[in-house]
Amino acid sequence: MATVTVGVLALQGGVAEHLSLLKRAAPQVSPDDRSFHFLQVRTAAELAKCDALIIPGGESTTMSIVAQRLGLLEPLREFVKIQQKPVWGTCAGLVLLAEEASAVKKGGQELIGGLDVKVIRNRYGTQIQSFTADLRLPFLAETQTPSSSAVQQGGEAEKPFRGVFIRAPVVEKVNVSSSAREEETGKDKEPVEIMGVYQRQKSTSQRKQEQDALPAGGEATSTDEDIVAVRQRNVFGTSFHPELTTDFRIHVWWLKQVLDAVKPALN
Amino acid sequence: MAEFINGSQNTNNAAPGDLASAIASATSYSEAFKLKAGLAQMLKGGVIMDVTTPAEARIAEEAGAVAVMALERIPSDIRAMGGVARMSNPAMIKEIQAAVTIPVMAKARIGHVTECKILESLNVDYVDESEVLTPADDKYHVDKTQFNIPFVCGCRNLGEALRRIKEGAAMIRTKGEAGTGDIVEAVKHIRTVNEEIAQAKAALANGGFLAISNLAREIGCDAQLLKETAELGRLPVVNFAAGGVATPADAALMMHFGCDGVFVGSGIFKDAKTPEHAAKRARAIVKATTQWTDMAALVEACEEHGEAMKGISNAGMKPEERMAGRGW
Repeated sequence: MATVTVGVLALQGGVAEHLSLLKRAAPQVSPDDRSFHFLQVRTAAELAKCDALIIPGGESTTMSIVAQRLGLLEPLREFVKIQQKPVWGTCAGLVLLAEEASAVKKGGQELIGGLDVKVIRNRYGTQIQSFTADLRLPFLAETQTPSSSAVQQGGEAEKPFRGVFIRAPVVEKVNVSSSAREEETGKDKEPVEIMGVYQRQKSTSQRKQEQDALPAGGEATSTDEDIVAVRQRNVFGTSFHPELTTDFRIHVWWLKQVLDAVKPALN
Repeated sequence: MAEFINGSQNTNNAAPGDLASAIASATSYSEAFKLKAGLAQMLKGGVIMDVTTPAEARIAEEAGAVAVMALERIPSDIRAMGGVARMSNPAMIKEIQAAVTIPVMAKARIGHVTECKILESLNVDYVDESEVLTPADDKYHVDKTQFNIPFVCGCRNLGEALRRIKEGAAMIRTKGEAGTGDIVEAVKHIRTVNEEIAQAKAALANGGFLAISNLAREIGCDAQLLKETAELGRLPVVNFAAGGVATPADAALMMHFGCDGVFVGSGIFKDAKTPEHAAKRARAIVKATTQWTDMAALVEACEEHGEAMKGISNAGMKPEERMAGRGW
């Protein structure tokens, strides 16, 4: 039986949380001729064993500094950008997978990159502004197998996903890299797909300001859309923490993406 | 065995030791509490450092600390100065918040609801209701369920830990003996917690909920929380080590005992010869905590750490000099 090895970067943060949900999600994906092996990744040798990787929530500055000291940043960049293996980052993981980040510590922060986006760290502020919100994630409908789709249509897949946002980052801009840089890397880039948004209520003052700027009769919208889930080719990122819930639908969806990606390599 | 209590089937389906799904699936935890406990989950495997100035906070951040604890004096200096130790000046906390992007925690006196409210309006990320400061209430701790920001509290044993969680603490730490650089009390406290959890597991296995209720009465805690702890085989929230961690080896020792991370109070900046020396110590302790099973990394961390704080041995300490006895 062929084994698909999925690693969780285990430098710090919500490692056990992801492993717990991966183990629950795996039977749902049930690849007939393959089984999953889940691995904590702390070294380049462990990373080399992986077909796919999750970078968990935690403190992105800590993970970045520790990865740098362990000589893991370059192997991680190679894993994401050159080998283009499936990678999913949650919260701090999303920050690390972004090409650009703002509101970083003084002197800047080393990133892995791979997602052509700019994120703002701690977008909503400190812990007191942390929140949960129901999200509509259309891609979850993809997780259905043909046999179950009739049953699940309008059911399981339609159920909103409880997004847990803890000192969360948000994607401020997508497709940020200059054409010069693209030529330099020389690869034909797939654009960034927006996979999920959070409808944030505008503050009264913001709404008023926008209202005043509009011609008479126009009405400012009451919500703003924050981009909270993105995908670009092999790289997926969420600014919320599915690993802090018991809902493993995103893990099931992502493991299926992993299987699709490793299939050619195994055949 | 849950059928014994009010007919409520509160058993979560987490596997032993699986804190992650235990917190996520616990029906007794509110959504707000899960957000509070969730931040602590994100700090796991990390080091939280006491800092007294923006410059120290930056040293901590650059070393890879997952959070800083802003306070006017490190515990060893509080100990040396004597007098009443209180919440830090908000101006100083604000300066530290402005200096770093990692979470900022601050200490309030045990039972001092107003200090906690002030810290909440400062938007600190976590409040430490701490025995390092002079207690403000000799009877009650703060009712932490009434706050929107999370609390971490100290413990010496399982009963104390579960009493704090029942009051709303979303994170626990051992008390140890702060400001001494002597690890013996922190070891005693985590060992006691571990032994009592083993006792609770045995009680649940042999005598079910009745035996758990008996034990809960004995150690003075909520029976349902004790049962959940016994099923899980660990504290039902994130548990850090604190109080006497002075070297990389101390930090790794506490990880070895099953702590989720460490607080380092005086160990970074006390007796540091230069800011560079403090930075080295900070980096070494982060290395030892994140790579505590890797002996080669520990050897490197100990070499890089250099000379540790001088410290005060707990052995000769008078009871009134101990901070761990504060709180109940």
